[in-house]
Amino acid sequence: MFGVTGDLARKKLIPAVYDLGNRGLLPPGFVLLGFARRDWDHGDFEQLARTAAEEHARTEFREDVWRRIADSVRFVPGSFDDDNAFDQLARTLVELEDSHGIAGNAAFYLSIPPAAFPVVLKQLARTRMADGEQRGGWRRVVVEKPFGHDLQSSKELNRLVDSVFTPHDVFRIDHYLGKETVQNLLALRFANTLFEPVWNSNFVDSVQITMAEDVGIEGRAAFYDTAGAGRDVLQNHLLQLLALTAMEEPVSFDAESLRIEKRKVLTAISLPQDLAASTARGQYIQGWLAGERVRGYLDEEGIPPTSTTETYAAVRLGVETRRWAGVPFYLRTGKRLPRRVTEIAVVFKRAPHLPFSKTDTTELGNNQLVVRVQPDEGVTLRFGSKAPGSAMEIREVSMDFLYGSAFTESSPEAYERLLLDVLLGDKTLFPDHEEVEASWRVVDQLEQFWSTTAPEPYRAGEWGPKGADEMLARENRTWRRP
Amino acid sequence: MTVTLWDTNGGEVVRALAAERRAGAMMASGLALTLVVTAAEKDVAAAEQAATIAAQAHPCRLVIVVRRQLDTADRLDAEVQVGGRLGPIEAVVMRMYGRLTLHPESVVLPLLAPDCPVLTWWHGPPPDEIATDPLGVLADRRVTDCALAPDPIAALRRRAEDFAPGDTDLAWTRTTPWRSLLASAFDALDLPPRAARVAAEAGNPSAALLAGWLSARLGVASACEDSAGPGITDVEVRLGEVEEGDATSEAGTSIRLSRPDGRLATFSRTGQPDRQLPLLRRPLGELLAEELRRLDADEVYAEALEAATGTSELSGRSPRRTLVWRDPALAAAAAH
Repeated sequence: MFGVTGDLARKKLIPAVYDLGNRGLLPPGFVLLGFARRDWDHGDFEQLARTAAEEHARTEFREDVWRRIADSVRFVPGSFDDDNAFDQLARTLVELEDSHGIAGNAAFYLSIPPAAFPVVLKQLARTRMADGEQRGGWRRVVVEKPFGHDLQSSKELNRLVDSVFTPHDVFRIDHYLGKETVQNLLALRFANTLFEPVWNSNFVDSVQITMAEDVGIEGRAAFYDTAGAGRDVLQNHLLQLLALTAMEEPVSFDAESLRIEKRKVLTAISLPQDLAASTARGQYIQGWLAGERVRGYLDEEGIPPTSTTETYAAVRLGVETRRWAGVPFYLRTGKRLPRRVTEIAVVFKRAPHLPFSKTDTTELGNNQLVVRVQPDEGVTLRFGSKAPGSAMEIREVSMDFLYGSAFTESSPEAYERLLLDVLLGDKTLFPDHEEVEASWRVVDQLEQFWSTTAPEPYRAGEWGPKGADEMLARENRTWRRP
Repeated sequence: MTVTLWDTNGGEVVRALAAERRAGAMMASGLALTLVVTAAEKDVAAAEQAATIAAQAHPCRLVIVVRRQLDTADRLDAEVQVGGRLGPIEAVVMRMYGRLTLHPESVVLPLLAPDCPVLTWWHGPPPDEIATDPLGVLADRRVTDCALAPDPIAALRRRAEDFAPGDTDLAWTRTTPWRSLLASAFDALDLPPRAARVAAEAGNPSAALLAGWLSARLGVASACEDSAGPGITDVEVRLGEVEEGDATSEAGTSIRLSRPDGRLATFSRTGQPDRQLPLLRRPLGELLAEELRRLDADEVYAEALEAATGTSELSGRSPRRTLVWRDPALAAAAAH
């Protein structure tokens, strides 16, 4: 694991390793080998890993489980351009094969900034660590988003990774795909008879996909200011959720069949003619959120006061297939919104005829099926019902399925699932480079247009800029309040 | 199942509510709306009691906001209950201090039930201008209570000037039993109404609205008279055409509903025996429950309010308000 001292490693990856160990899912010959520019020995790294597991693991921290994992925690110090350090790393790998009985299998997790990719990959090639055949096992590489910053750079990144590892061994992590509810979307659609018949433009009015965060940029200023909401979230998480919502039924649930269907949807995405009217872009200014005063984006540490990076992005996309002809997909994401929530809302058309008087149904909206990705993972179905009383008064009610109450076992963290899949070599939940490139083709056009505009300010603690509301109002729709 | 959070923040409250909902997931489904109540500390108990009664008839998430003193450190205290002392509902009672009192929506917004209508109820003197209260701006329905204002009739006039569709007032809700009795009496009438008269305690806003309703619906003049109360004591509608120069026409046909004791009403119609009917003054909780029944704009109320205050075209206004920022600290500084 490269970059073990980073936030992601401490908060997600190491805790996920512990959780897998606690659930008995780690293979007997598992070793966690950390690499970072720290003057540490194995013990120091074990201490960091232990603290990370204690603080962030989902499952209960148990001393005996940790002791087993601690036996297989190793550390190699060094910087990415230090040939000696990588030689040492290669030697350590070989030693571990003998001492821990690993048949030459290794996965390299690059939890590092994209700028460091080339040098690390070159080192892996130079030391022949990426070559599995040489040691008689598999060698995989795990890459975190961002997968480049536009189509061009993403292609270059791919070429680079593919030149060192075989394409089949590259795992691109989009941790949203590891979430239970996202996988449940597939179960919901393809395991039931109830939903699939209405899952098309005959019945669906529009789809809203929202990923809202209440936090700001949390010390990621340098990266975030060059990326913005479009590249940071829209390009990967939102488009992947769109793909899973809109795709056709795969012929089977193996990785290739699933990716074929997702790829079809991603290449069928169309942008609106009038980008000014069908997109919105915002930047948060000082405001109150969750009872506390928070500063504006431009006042955040490390953000230039003239920055025009967006912290909120909304766009109306189309999917040019028979199933989705004419159905708008509204995607939005933002920081410093009132609450942290990710959801997919399928909004159905209104009944073609309502045999009630007009005043009876004024409070009846469109039926909705909402997949809550996080938090309160589950599904909500909204429909009209008669309010009790002597008058015929139809009101919206919701029927909730809550994961926490229907299944007593708590859902695994996304990274648990994805790390396990890397070890098992199952690529079902990992986007491939063609999906990434198709997504960039969409986002590049948006970014190109946005580079000519300034983001609209919105107060921290509001549901985004006015322009986003107006964008839907023009089409006689409103954003769902998640 | 009550969780009390001292000196907390909005994120903690949201998490506590989610945790409590998970623990008691059975009852938490079926939310149809969020009821936001704003009250002063001394009125919280009464507001809680009323909201609990109303919530039993209309499953809702109850959010009670108590705005304490402004000139102190920012602070939020919260009590989260799911099936606790307020009965089988989910409720959050919050007390805010300092500058936070000016930004209550920052805590309330994430607590609203997803995509459900929001009703805000001021249990206390109505705000002078609803757009200056963020809790009013975020609501789809707004319920005030002019009877609690120092000058209820002036407050009613303010409500008309400040009106937006979706506003109602509990002074109006209090007239419902009177209106349904009077309306049913008209089923059996063939004489056209001529004039109406309402007698009530001095400064009773319900009486003004009832008189307004009578003139709006019947198209006749209506007058308000002061009586000893309690509440509305007497309503009379005189019927039939008056002939020119007819001195006896004052004694013509009329229907009359009088309730001198706040409990039992006597319905009388010229030429028919009197009938006695129960006409109780209802507790706050029942009034609120009635308001929760309909979440669309009350056009009949708008007409009655127009007639009572001499305003017009109230229903044609936009139902949406935009927040008008008013900082009491700046206003105080300007006054010095």
